[in-house]
Amino acid sequence: MPFFAGEIFVSDVQKKPVLDQTGEEIGKLKDIVVAGGDPFPAVTALVVASGRAVYVIPWDMINLFNRRVISVIATRSSLTPSAPASNDILICRDILDKQIVDINGAKLVRVNDLELGDVKGRLCLVASDIGFRGILRRMGMEAKGEKLFSLFRYKIPQKLIGWHYLQTMEPKLSKLTLTVSRQKVARIHPADLAEIISEVSQKERSALFGSMDVETAAEALHELEPKVQVGIIDDMSKEHASDILEQMPPDEAADVLGDLPEAKAQELINLMEKEEAEDVQELLEHEEDTAGGIMTTEYLAFPPNMTVEEAIKELRLEAPNVETVYYLYILDHEEHICGVLSLKNLILASPETKLGGIMMTPVKALPLEAKEKDVAEFVSKYNLLAVPVVDENMAMRGIVTVDDVVDFLLPPASRKRRRR
Amino acid sequence: MTRWKRFILLLSVIGPGIITANVDNDAGGITTYSMAGAHFGYSLLWSLIPITIALIVVQEMSARMGAVTGKGLAELIRENYGVKVTFWLMLSLFITDLGNTAAEFAGWAASNEIFGLSKYVSVPIGAFIVWLLVVKGSYRVVEKIFLVICVVYLVYIPAAILAKPDWTDVALQTIKPSFQFSTPYVMMLIGVVGTTIAPWMQFYLQSSIVEKGIQKEQYWASRIDVIVGCFLTDIVALFIIVACGATLFKAGVRIDTADAAARSLAPLAGRYASLLFAVGLANASLFSASILPLATAYYICEGMGWEAGVSKTFKDAPQFMWLYTILIAIGSLIVLIPNSPLIAIMWISQVINGVMLPFVLIFMLMLINSQDLMEKYTNSRTFNIIAWVTTVVMIALTLVFVVTMFL
Repeated sequence: MPFFAGEIFVSDVQKKPVLDQTGEEIGKLKDIVVAGGDPFPAVTALVVASGRAVYVIPWDMINLFNRRVISVIATRSSLTPSAPASNDILICRDILDKQIVDINGAKLVRVNDLELGDVKGRLCLVASDIGFRGILRRMGMEAKGEKLFSLFRYKIPQKLIGWHYLQTMEPKLSKLTLTVSRQKVARIHPADLAEIISEVSQKERSALFGSMDVETAAEALHELEPKVQVGIIDDMSKEHASDILEQMPPDEAADVLGDLPEAKAQELINLMEKEEAEDVQELLEHEEDTAGGIMTTEYLAFPPNMTVEEAIKELRLEAPNVETVYYLYILDHEEHICGVLSLKNLILASPETKLGGIMMTPVKALPLEAKEKDVAEFVSKYNLLAVPVVDENMAMRGIVTVDDVVDFLLPPASRKRRRR
Repeated sequence: MTRWKRFILLLSVIGPGIITANVDNDAGGITTYSMAGAHFGYSLLWSLIPITIALIVVQEMSARMGAVTGKGLAELIRENYGVKVTFWLMLSLFITDLGNTAAEFAGWAASNEIFGLSKYVSVPIGAFIVWLLVVKGSYRVVEKIFLVICVVYLVYIPAAILAKPDWTDVALQTIKPSFQFSTPYVMMLIGVVGTTIAPWMQFYLQSSIVEKGIQKEQYWASRIDVIVGCFLTDIVALFIIVACGATLFKAGVRIDTADAAARSLAPLAGRYASLLFAVGLANASLFSASILPLATAYYICEGMGWEAGVSKTFKDAPQFMWLYTILIAIGSLIVLIPNSPLIAIMWISQVINGVMLPFVLIFMLMLINSQDLMEKYTNSRTFNIIAWVTTVVMIALTLVFVVTMFL
């Protein structure tokens, strides 16, 4: 099994000498053959050139592969020159410097460099470098460039696109397409998707959203900056927009609606299903930076006289619709919180026990008017994943989950970056 | 295809070849031809025939590559020769084109001063017009305007007629090669050849063929476009040399700028000849001041893989539009700033231009002979011989031209 260490950029190993068992130079590394695996193509062979002779050396004959040494478990004399097969994918020839286009065919940038890395013990093509740093590295000036820019107190950022965002390739292709296609878009994490979306133009964004299913669109929309969200909603048909809003947790939907002009927001709310519309409407009434404004109205609530078995059954039905399943709130018929159960408590309890018998009291709750900062302190103090929010009559109105708190303390990467 | 349909297709394809060739007669080109006529009469006219052939050979290859591969020259160089070569090539071409753009604005300013317009008025107006044209126009509209501008070049024909040359002598000197063994003559000859083929032209022609969406099936029409363009260009050059040869040469007037030629024509060939000359210079300068930044923006974006095109907006192709804007802004500012080192900038850009040309021509020849790229449209054996000879001669003369600049 070849030994390789961590991440390697193709430009670091290109044209490096390849040595045989005895330390004799076979030639210089010319290219790398990969197999079109999904999602990361694995390295299958190295192409080594020595003058006019070309050797294709299978990956399992490689002993060491890093930016200093590349060595082969064979002697130079035992190798016979050969040419890569016509359908082989050679990453320097076929991928490096090729155009990357987005789903609509708009040109974004070219592949400046490629990164190889370990995926389940195999050396695979993991990312494409699209930044200025990649160009400097190709020119053998990364260190010099870094020094020069540090004089201006500027750090050249790494800009990599994971290979799974790029469509699988074929030999001699002329361009690479970002896989923001209907099939693959759902596999991208919404936060990453948001990053891609924020890089493309308004027109392309709308096209992109049109190609996603409603669930994915709902998740991605939340990750975007308010201004971008508004632009996208404006470009969509009202029906499509309201469908997406319905799919979003009410607190997130309310966030988006809160940034829209009031008339437009009201119009969209009216188009939403009655139940979702009411939740959102209620949330919109609270100040944005209070517990009421950031809470979600979807949580698990059970009566105290329900058995554990019934509760688990009910949980299975309800779980897909709520943001967090770790806490089950026990409410009386007036919606006052009597107690709380963690998912762990529930699973460990015997099936016939009544919830009221195992629930924990008293429950720590926050008023609707609590400020964001207080919510954060509260969550941190009691080590909670979610905190219930109650109104003046102590009736439960919603929960604030820990991710909303983190969002407020530390805006998501994609938003923070664009704010700069 | 019926003859009528072919004619319609020809009309729809025509544009890039004529436009690119005409920009060859920019402020610098007109100056060179004026000087050639004023200092050596008709004795350099014969060089226009080999120049036309060289121009056709090189331009035809660019057009063919664009139509067959659907990619610009910078794109092909990046994909086949890597980022390192591309980066230095782009950087060098950026500097030369910046220098040349400034020179075009200087030509525009000088010709407007003949009409009594201060450069502080003419240059900002000119810069704004060319900027607006590309930023707000679509490719179709911009191309039509460019083609109309190409027609304005024909003002040099009446200018030459007003100079009342001896046409028999002109015809004879055009077809009969002659040579004078004197340093100034050789320098002038090299200068005339040296201004003919500039690296940016090949990039611009190929990019505009690609942006126009010309396919290999319509390529025959593009070839006509290129050939007609090269002929028109050198016919204009011929009339410039004739106009100056019939008047300034006979009177023994020495000039070193194109606007000086226009001014000196007034007492010798009349006020109208002088004005036509000035109009021609103004038109050519402003035209090139638009095309040069455009070509630069095209190839930098192609090399880097950014979206580019005249039909795009600032939002869709921000790098392209900003590059174009910045080149025009800096180019025109250099002319406006008092005591700016315009001569030095032009000098540097000419030197880099000459040094870059061999690389660009050799890359072109290697690319066009690649079967993977060009399929059955590679150069034929005969064409290759002509192309290589042209390339070697062009390179040799351009390098000598560069060397003479240091003397």
